[in-house]
Amino acid sequence: MPTARTQDLMRFLAERFPLEKFSFRSLVQKKEVPLHKMAWAYYLGGLALFCFFIQLSTGLLLLFYYEPTVSDAHASVEFITHNVSGGALIRNLHTWSSSAMILFVLAHLVTTFAMKAFEKPREMTWISGVVLLLLTFAFGFTGYLLPWHQIAVNATKVGLQSIEEAGRYLPGELGKLPGQIKELIQGEQSVGQATLSRFYALHVVILPFTLCALLGFHLLSVQLHGMSQGVDKATNKTEAFFPFFLLKDFSLWGIGFLVMFVLALCLPFESFFSFPLFQPFDPLGSTPEGIKPEWYFFFVYYPLELLPFWFIMLASTVALGGLFMTPWLFRPANRRTLAFLACAAALYLIVMTVFGQNIYALFKGSQ
Amino acid sequence: MFDVFFFVGLPYIAVFTMVAGTIYRFRKDRLGVSSLSSQFLESKALLWGSVPWHIGIAVVFLGHLIPLLAPGVWQALVARRAFLITIETLGSCAASLCLVGLVILAIRRFASSKLQTVTTAMDLVVVNLLIAQVVLGLGVATAHRWGAVWSTGTTTPYLWSLLRFNPDVSYVAELPALVRVHLVGAFVVFLLVPFSRLVHMFSLPLEYLFRPPQKVVWANPRRLLHAHAAVAAMESRRLFLKASFGLAGAGALLSVGVFDKFLGFFRGPRMTPDEEAKLLKTRLDRLQLTVEERELELERIRSEQIFVAKVGELSPKDGKYFIDYKMRPALAFRDEQGLPRLISAKCTHLGCTVASSVDSTNRLLCPCHMSYFDVKSGAPLEGSPAKAPLPLLGWILVDPNGKTVASQGPDGKLEGKPDPATLDVCSVYIAKQYEEA
Amino acid sequence: MALRVAILFGVAALAGRGAHAYPEFQRYSQQVSGRFVNCAMCHVHPDGPIGLKPGQIGKLTPAELGQLNSARGAFLPGQDVMNPILNEFGNALLKKLGKKRILELRLQPDQLADAYGYESDIDGDGVPDAHEFLQGTDPVDPQNGAPWALFTHNLRRYAFPHLFLLVTATALGLFGMNNLLKWFHQTMDKGSPEPGATGTKH
Repeated sequence: MPTARTQDLMRFLAERFPLEKFSFRSLVQKKEVPLHKMAWAYYLGGLALFCFFIQLSTGLLLLFYYEPTVSDAHASVEFITHNVSGGALIRNLHTWSSSAMILFVLAHLVTTFAMKAFEKPREMTWISGVVLLLLTFAFGFTGYLLPWHQIAVNATKVGLQSIEEAGRYLPGELGKLPGQIKELIQGEQSVGQATLSRFYALHVVILPFTLCALLGFHLLSVQLHGMSQGVDKATNKTEAFFPFFLLKDFSLWGIGFLVMFVLALCLPFESFFSFPLFQPFDPLGSTPEGIKPEWYFFFVYYPLELLPFWFIMLASTVALGGLFMTPWLFRPANRRTLAFLACAAALYLIVMTVFGQNIYALFKGSQ
Repeated sequence: MFDVFFFVGLPYIAVFTMVAGTIYRFRKDRLGVSSLSSQFLESKALLWGSVPWHIGIAVVFLGHLIPLLAPGVWQALVARRAFLITIETLGSCAASLCLVGLVILAIRRFASSKLQTVTTAMDLVVVNLLIAQVVLGLGVATAHRWGAVWSTGTTTPYLWSLLRFNPDVSYVAELPALVRVHLVGAFVVFLLVPFSRLVHMFSLPLEYLFRPPQKVVWANPRRLLHAHAAVAAMESRRLFLKASFGLAGAGALLSVGVFDKFLGFFRGPRMTPDEEAKLLKTRLDRLQLTVEERELELERIRSEQIFVAKVGELSPKDGKYFIDYKMRPALAFRDEQGLPRLISAKCTHLGCTVASSVDSTNRLLCPCHMSYFDVKSGAPLEGSPAKAPLPLLGWILVDPNGKTVASQGPDGKLEGKPDPATLDVCSVYIAKQYEEA
Repeated sequence: MALRVAILFGVAALAGRGAHAYPEFQRYSQQVSGRFVNCAMCHVHPDGPIGLKPGQIGKLTPAELGQLNSARGAFLPGQDVMNPILNEFGNALLKKLGKKRILELRLQPDQLADAYGYESDIDGDGVPDAHEFLQGTDPVDPQNGAPWALFTHNLRRYAFPHLFLLVTATALGLFGMNNLLKWFHQTMDKGSPEPGATGTKH
């Protein structure tokens, strides 16, 4: 006879993973998508998934020519861009689509929050989503180093250095720990071949496999539970997931691909930056001006530049903890409150990303 | 003589017969201008035979007609590899479709006893002739590749010479036998048009493509329901066909594009020797840099002291970069007493390399986040993101005879006093003894 | 290493101030464009001509040193010289203007673009070299240029067949998808009393 506690656990699991619904009929044929004024947000996750598919295919192609050594990485990337036919296109597609992926993942997060899609029994879906977000950022961070140009290596150095900074706020011997963690990540005293090798392994093997596994879990639980109702007053208007929602999803992917392809073909991502940033990294020369992380890290980078480090540490720990605990923290909240919070978060992200440079200049008075 | 008969006489006779015979049939026996449909007798095989054949031949026909009508435009188009491959692939697929359809139609004629009663000898001649003609066309496409290109210089001018009534057989005289037979076959098909069911090609019911579906309404309510169902089925079939057309078109275009890009990508670049040499040179230079860096690393593990520069080479304003024991960049200046001043160039904020020259107020700048450091003490200036000073490095001064004349630890404690006269030729070294364990 | 240092200082002493890059142009480009620019706009090495790295004077072979010296003598425009420490743009400047005029222009860097003219486009990215100088972008890298200019140029360049085919494919696909949706609606609503896009929640 199972104890009461085991029974509770069993009930918890059974509610979160209603595997009796694991049938073609209930996953595909019976699934309905609600129609209301926020219904557009149901497509954002699909778009992020589509970007991931593009990343996977273009990334595999880049693997054919890329060489992960400090002496050859930059040369091989240049070779892809300037010599291989279609290489510039594929590389640009990879870059543009990585940005688009992060954009859609963030938009997906904000809208699902506003729509209270983390409500019971979808807590695990939400948490896997948060981990997927972190994995996406990890993809961005590791991939940024691989071309081994000035901005790549220096921005990576800056990013890793901020781990070590944390040591200043820890007492005694514990203060050395962050520095050791940093060296563990970069594999040697400074960013070098060891760092490149392990970032490469992370970017092309470990992260993709982890992401695929977690994505499978995420998508399965989305299908098991169906779409959340999304608005406070449930509408009784719905459309069938298959084929209507899915076909609209695919149409959107088609348009997305068109836009991304035109951008990749006609507008090299690197043209937005000063050209010295893309010269091969020179460990003994000077660092060119304008070293910055990718735009999707601005929301933490500019505050890091402006505010005391301990504050950022505290704020990001709270934010991250909050993200993981959202299903329980915001259980009583109604969707009006959540939408307000989501708008505030979106506003912060947009302002910091678009105007971060201006805000920085305003406070620092430089440039 | 042979050429003149087949390539001048035959075409004119064929076209004249076709035009005159068709006009005659239209005037004499208008209702006889038909395909002599046998759909009432057998419809299933007809669908699978007739539809592929007609779709295929429409594409193939356009592929023959467009180069003839607009040879200049065509030539410009086929000069692009992607277009050429696409058009040849499309043509071959369409021809295969024709062949499949024709074979089904031919088998249908033989297999059904009902049909045999209405089949004339001419029907059999036509279907076999068409099969032969399609096989020949496919043969030309495979045996003598890129017909879309070479036809612009051979068959196109030949056919134009016929149209201008100034026949010139020299264009086709040297062509391979397969091509010549294909041409003759085409003329024979033209010739047979007025005598066979082929004449229906001139009574294309084109308006069917554009008119809305017609609804036959019966007065009887039971029949009405049937009519509705029939209309719905028709509408549904139309939608499905449109959908398949759109998706198949998009799929075909995308696969051509993807195929073209991927093929080029995997084939890799085809470089001129100059380009290849340039590329190789760049890669060798980069390798060399790596080698030099590794040598520095080895030197730092092995030697107790490492040469930085002669004192005379150093200046108070422009620092000289060198690499310290931990493989980090550092700068060598000369201070007011004329002695070396070695300072780490790795910014204590986030690890960028500090710029090598000092500005007018003796400040060093880290360009990453605009940290300023005082060159004398290494201390960061007010308002810099960096909070810790750039560490000063210890040095040893060795005169040309190899004798250590002075040294300074990282703490700034000077030992010994160098002779100002020979100071410029003394060498500056960094020493392992000054590194913390 | 010691040999190379010796060569370096020998050459530097020989050349005097001629061995320095002309930072006036760099500063001007940076000032009018707002972009960071370094020596690699005209030189082979981003840190300029002096040093021991590839593309710098200290690394030149004797043959290249010969080329360097004859390039230094190219005071008048139109001379067929190849300076091994300059990139294609640097050499094009030297050939078009001659060293004498370049030295004069150091005092009026704003006139360099007009003097050089707006016809030449070495990297073929649709932005003339002189504009790239004024916009602070790399004149020898087709992937680098003012974004809008690059975008419009490439749009025209790839309009046919790339973009045309892609737009056709997308339009066909959307057309097909749309009809497929309608088809599904029709076949699935068969039997239900009122046709429409929506079902009711179960």
